[in-house]
Amino acid sequence: MNKHSFKLVGVALVAASLAFAGCGSRADTASSSGGSSNKVATIGVISPLSGDLSALGLGIRNSVDLAIRQANESNAIPGWTLKLSPQDDQATPDVGKNAATKLSSDDTVVGVVGTLNSSVAQTVIPVLASATIVQVSPANTNPTLTQGEDLANPKRPYPNYFRTCTTDSVQGPFAAQYLLESGIKKVATIHDKKAYGQGLVEAFTTAFKAGGGTITDAETINPEDKDFSAVISKVKTTSPEAVYYGGEYPQAGPLSKQMKAAGLNVPLMGGDGIYDPNFIKLGGTDGDLATSVGAPVDSLDSAKAFVSAYSAAGFSEPYAAYGAYAYDAANAIINALKVSLKDATDAKSARQATIDAMANVSFDGATGKVAFDQFGDSTSRVLTVYKVVSGAWAAEKTGELKS
Amino acid sequence: MDLFFQQLINGLSLGSLYALIAVGYTVVYGIVQLINFAHGEIFMIGAFGAYATWMVMGQPTDWSAPLSILVLLPVMIIGGIIASVAVALLTERWAYRPLRNAPRLAPLITAIGVSVFLQEFVRLFYGYIPGFPDAKSAIPFPSVPGISGETIQVGGVLIQMTAVFTLAALVVCWVFLWYYVNRTKTGRAMVATSQDPDTARLMGINVDKVIMAAFAVGAALAAIAGVAHGLRYGNIDFKMGFLAGLKAFTAAVLGGIGNINGAVVGGLVLGVAEAMATTFIPGQFGSSAWKDVWAFVLLILVLVFRPQGLLGAKVVDRA
Amino acid sequence: MRVVIPDELKIRFRYPARALGITGGVLMLVSILLPWAYAPEALDDMTFYGAPSPLQLFFAVLPLLLILLLAIPLVGKQRLGKGAKVVAWNTTAKTASIMSLIVVAVAVAAIAIGLGGLVNVDPGGWLALVGGIMAVAATLFLPDSPEPTLYRVKSPKWLQILGIVVLMALLLFGAAYILGFEDADDFLMFAAFVVGMVMVLRQFGVFGWLGIAAAANNRILVLSAFVVAFAFPFTQNGSDANMSVASQVLIFAATALGLNIVVGLVGLLDLGYIAFLGAGAFTAAVLSESAFATIKWSPPFIVTVLIAGTVASLLGLLIGAPTLRVSGDYLAIVTLAFGEIFRITMNNLDGNDGPNLTNGSNGIPGIPDLNLFGFDFGKAHVILGIDIGRFANYYWLMLVVIALIIVVFTNLNHSRIGRGWVAIREDELAAEAMGVNTFALKLLAFAGGAFLAGVAGSVKAHYDVSVTPDQYVFLESAFLLAAVVLGGMGTVMGVLVGATILKLLPEKLRFFSDYRLLLFGLLMVIMMRFRPEGIVPDERRQLEFHDTDEELAEEVEEELTSHHAHLYPEAGGFVL
Repeated sequence: MNKHSFKLVGVALVAASLAFAGCGSRADTASSSGGSSNKVATIGVISPLSGDLSALGLGIRNSVDLAIRQANESNAIPGWTLKLSPQDDQATPDVGKNAATKLSSDDTVVGVVGTLNSSVAQTVIPVLASATIVQVSPANTNPTLTQGEDLANPKRPYPNYFRTCTTDSVQGPFAAQYLLESGIKKVATIHDKKAYGQGLVEAFTTAFKAGGGTITDAETINPEDKDFSAVISKVKTTSPEAVYYGGEYPQAGPLSKQMKAAGLNVPLMGGDGIYDPNFIKLGGTDGDLATSVGAPVDSLDSAKAFVSAYSAAGFSEPYAAYGAYAYDAANAIINALKVSLKDATDAKSARQATIDAMANVSFDGATGKVAFDQFGDSTSRVLTVYKVVSGAWAAEKTGELKS
Repeated sequence: MDLFFQQLINGLSLGSLYALIAVGYTVVYGIVQLINFAHGEIFMIGAFGAYATWMVMGQPTDWSAPLSILVLLPVMIIGGIIASVAVALLTERWAYRPLRNAPRLAPLITAIGVSVFLQEFVRLFYGYIPGFPDAKSAIPFPSVPGISGETIQVGGVLIQMTAVFTLAALVVCWVFLWYYVNRTKTGRAMVATSQDPDTARLMGINVDKVIMAAFAVGAALAAIAGVAHGLRYGNIDFKMGFLAGLKAFTAAVLGGIGNINGAVVGGLVLGVAEAMATTFIPGQFGSSAWKDVWAFVLLILVLVFRPQGLLGAKVVDRA
Repeated sequence: MRVVIPDELKIRFRYPARALGITGGVLMLVSILLPWAYAPEALDDMTFYGAPSPLQLFFAVLPLLLILLLAIPLVGKQRLGKGAKVVAWNTTAKTASIMSLIVVAVAVAAIAIGLGGLVNVDPGGWLALVGGIMAVAATLFLPDSPEPTLYRVKSPKWLQILGIVVLMALLLFGAAYILGFEDADDFLMFAAFVVGMVMVLRQFGVFGWLGIAAAANNRILVLSAFVVAFAFPFTQNGSDANMSVASQVLIFAATALGLNIVVGLVGLLDLGYIAFLGAGAFTAAVLSESAFATIKWSPPFIVTVLIAGTVASLLGLLIGAPTLRVSGDYLAIVTLAFGEIFRITMNNLDGNDGPNLTNGSNGIPGIPDLNLFGFDFGKAHVILGIDIGRFANYYWLMLVVIALIIVVFTNLNHSRIGRGWVAIREDELAAEAMGVNTFALKLLAFAGGAFLAGVAGSVKAHYDVSVTPDQYVFLESAFLLAAVVLGGMGTVMGVLVGATILKLLPEKLRFFSDYRLLLFGLLMVIMMRFRPEGIVPDERRQLEFHDTDEELAEEVEEELTSHHAHLYPEAGGFVL
């Protein structure tokens, strides 16, 4: 009996404490908030906002922020206010997945810009796909994300995934085309074994050989490495006329410097991963080359507009390598939302319509024409070769990749 | 054959860098049986200290070659040494000393903590010094006229002046160490303490002072390695100590941990082995992507077949 | 830091001090009826008169306890009877006042920083701050009370069970509540409150009493713990975001438990443990039905789990056999090197620099969800009217895995093997001399720990959908080690606590994510310096770390004997 009564007391206590907590919720005042009549739709950002790669990630976030501010100012989608929800993925797949889950459980989220890293994308895309949220990446270059595991017979794995950057299969061949046209027939390749670098070198190699060139040596380095002398000595014995490097500027700069110091005085060429002022600071020398997507910023009105709007917005971080792509990605989503949100009652129900509308998006963005093919890849095939001239990048040649 | 000698030179200069760092591991281990996991970070701090000195000197870039080698470089090295020795002594005092009688796991875990802390500290706060660049990504290291970018051609082999500098630094340090350990009072006290700390204490040796001396000597050499690293690769970053420290420890074990000559020999052997593996292992496993794996496999093989190291260690099978 | 008040002052002012303390408590209680903040954005809207916010209500518990603690002794020693001795009234009151002040300070700081300036703190906040300072100052004048002896009070079985049940219920709702916080400030204030409550209850002797109750009703404790853990997804209304964090905590904890055998029981420092998790994950990925899998054979998951565990433990043997003979110090570095070898190798087995097994740095994406006995882990199921989503499914699976690991761990710990391990940890030479086969036992621990990590990895592969080499870096090994060290080497509870703290805090406190690693490094150093035995210490271990601390030895001994005195009262005291 004693036992019984105590149970009762326990139950009563729990009930009392719940009731107590109930008093605190001020239901009468809660309804007064949210005075504006506009409905809210949220665009998420998943990128590294802290850690090593935060410079790139913050540039992405700010650029999306800029696009959203502009859309709200011009009332691009009548009746709707757009909101930004930036999430940090720390460049780690695990954390990225948490961020994606958080966004997908928020009913106002209609689109996501991100991620920076292809490896993070692999865990983020499935989460967003199951919630039918459109995702546009400004930076993932791994071709399998849009074309599936078998690149010979491409099959799109996730219908919600798009990207504004070009894949390795466009940049590599363009570089090959440029080198062959400038009379360089013997090239050694080096890459850092990361998805980006390896893909770039593979695409380059295929196109370069097809165009009649010879690959004198194919080497790899470890991205944590500082000392490339052993690799350079090996490459030097095959006397190439240029070195094509697949990877990013933190390794490419020192590599170029060590090449020249070891007496290998040929240009180093790379993709947009080395098209950064830091490449030159870290050792990139005159004559080194890089490809990047789109026409040079100063030749494109839409790009100039982005740059001046960005500096006027007063962000404390620069837009960095992927800012323009992120700006275009956000605007692509906003353009799709113009169609999908028009008759929607709430944001969640417009998710599928947004994905459908992405196929018809086409506008002039900061990186050139923005539109997507049947796999979700950018249709832009305009690229520019840049060259280091007296310590700064200068546009060398703009052209279109012939297929 | 030219390629062989070229790789030998590459390996020796890389190995001297390892050797300079490895001495720090070996000296400290010989006396307190502590693997100072944070020693790689001391090396990194040395490089950042030298860079800071250069900044304070007004970023001189246009000095003549003799003036640079005789004034600029020594001043930078001294700046680096001050920074690294100070940090090493602070960690010894605040992190390791209180744990001297704790179970062996405790100081090792502390060392990992110190290592992560120092890396992050430099990454987050170096840029806060007015006028200094942000250390979140690599910082270009100043070039010293007369060394940076200069080369000597010997037959078909091209030798960079930075490699010559690293090798020369190792030789000078080695001679200095030999003199210090065998001919000075503190040095002999170090040997005595490493052989038997209790008896050494009874003989009137201030063991605390000896341990501090060991940390300081290791840190000074690491700082020289840091400057050599900066000159060689043209840039420094907050992560540079991790892999370099790991390799240097491998070198110390290879030569026989606790043995200073062993650390030097181990470093050179490891450097040459890495360079040669890139060139002379045939097939897929010979690519330079595997060279770190070969270095660590070498470490494991040494532990299996000759745990006392190439030159023999002072203490091997400690429980 | 420590303020020492002379005894004569304490005696002279004991009644005024008590009165002042009670006043301080009352001021804090009243303050929640006033607004604390000028604008609703700070914390959870503390701008109302007479309508406290939930956080204010929670906070109020602390001053309420403070008033009770100060007021009850006023009835006099006679009437309190036994209660005067078993409870440390004054010391607990001091703790309660300090903790109240800390919570108020956190709240005021959050309001000031969140709204931009101290002007935004309204009278309520200031009143609470003044009350808190008064209470702290007053309780400093109270004479110290002796250590609480609440645990010696004989209590009937039903009361003990009730205590356990209440504790578990609090854990369940506390965890659910904490996960619900979106805002870092709210989270911090609530966390300060929870820490405060824990400190007060500890000082009161509740935990000592609970320890006895738990020891006496071990089965009920374990059972109720698992019931609570199983019920957890229901409190979340199927919220995927929170369950995703919770299941990651479990995967992390399962791996850390495996590491705990190696580090906590045997005392071998393994700095490459993440490689075993990775080995399990890669094995499961390669054997999965993913279109990217390089081996086109996909056995049932049960078989995959065993293979993954075996592969990991074989790697453990491979690395352990040569190095375990040498010295513990070498082992740390060799395992670290092994972790690097693993990562680089996984990166290289891409068809260019080696046979294609892992697709190199692209890894193996598109791993399908598990399907066990017709239960699809990828789909949401409606149970008891609540949507139980994908993450909750994996959460439950990991709970089963963890339960298995805990059973193995505790049984081993109390077996001949476990005693051998502890002997090795404490003095390997002595153990060997006593006939313990140290090498075989160390190898067993190493391979066993690796097996567990491999099993956890095989679930992680399916849970993560993709496996890439850059998930398995040294820093992850360091985090695992930190979970073990922080929680308490050698204890199950400690590792669970450590893993939860290390995974949950960064998730909730995003604003300091850039300083995460800095604090993490500092934490390791400070823990080793001041509390090497961890938050939830293993008693044997605690003595080992403080072998010069006579006081602690006596304390532990006394506690142990009184445990037994209580557990076997009819034997009349000193059993054993």
